Amino acid sequence: MFAAKQSDLTPAQRAHTRRILWLLLAYVIILPPLVWIRSTTSVAGYIPALMAIAASLPVLGIFASWGRYLSVERDEYHQSVALRRIAVATNATMGAAVVWGFLQAFGVMPLIEAYWVPFVWVVIQGAFGCTAMFSRGRIAA
Amino acid sequence: MARSSAWKRYNVRVIWLTLLYGAFLLPAVYGFKHQLVPHSIAYLVAILPALPIVGIFVAIGRYLVEEQDEYVRMLMVRQTLWASGVSLSAATIWGFLESFGLIGRVDGYYVVIAWFFGLGIGGCVNKLTLGDGGC
Repeated sequence: MFAAKQSDLTPAQRAHTRRILWLLLAYVIILPPLVWIRSTTSVAGYIPALMAIAASLPVLGIFASWGRYLSVERDEYHQSVALRRIAVATNATMGAAVVWGFLQAFGVMPLIEAYWVPFVWVVIQGAFGCTAMFSRGRIAA
Repeated sequence: MARSSAWKRYNVRVIWLTLLYGAFLLPAVYGFKHQLVPHSIAYLVAILPALPIVGIFVAIGRYLVEEQDEYVRMLMVRQTLWASGVSLSAATIWGFLESFGLIGRVDGYYVVIAWFFGLGIGGCVNKLTLGDGGC
């Protein structure tokens, strides 16, 4: 089944999937030691800032990979589906960020780390992808 | 470049939403500052100024659906993609800097401010790469 799904992918989608998997692997490898070093040792100066930026690089790579995918995808249908997916995820995420932001500003909700915003974006992207995959499966069945 | 009717409708919507934003924000700020807002409606009063901003995102989506000129639509799509890339990247870096205890936490709507700033960057990129800033 996975092989059949793989063959359905365009070359650009395969390259994008490969990039995302490598970036997620890099994220999983990089993050735990950085968190451990930060919590157990007292590094000073610009090193903690470099550590924080290093932790965020794989996530930035994921956004860059989406941009790369959109520029190299030759199948207009797949490109428009990806654009729609990004538009839905961005609108929902920005909507959530602005509502949460005003709740924070008026002291009704607590302040949270900003990386929850991209986290919400990725989750909505994933949910959209799963919905599309299952609906395709139902049509194929 | 002559503006399309979709662009004009988009501008009218954004102007109304901006006026609505001002109308909701000023009383909310005054009310919270002078502790006039009862706890039971605090969430509602805090959310009200956010709704016109959410409406601006809907207006941008509506514009992309209504715009008939494919080239102009493509310019706007590129701008919004740049805006999303810039704002989400900024939020990621800022989030990890917060998490490592290097900087303070900020209100979530700054991500949206970064998004609109990214929209400007997207316009500059369009101008530099395609010779047309678009919207």
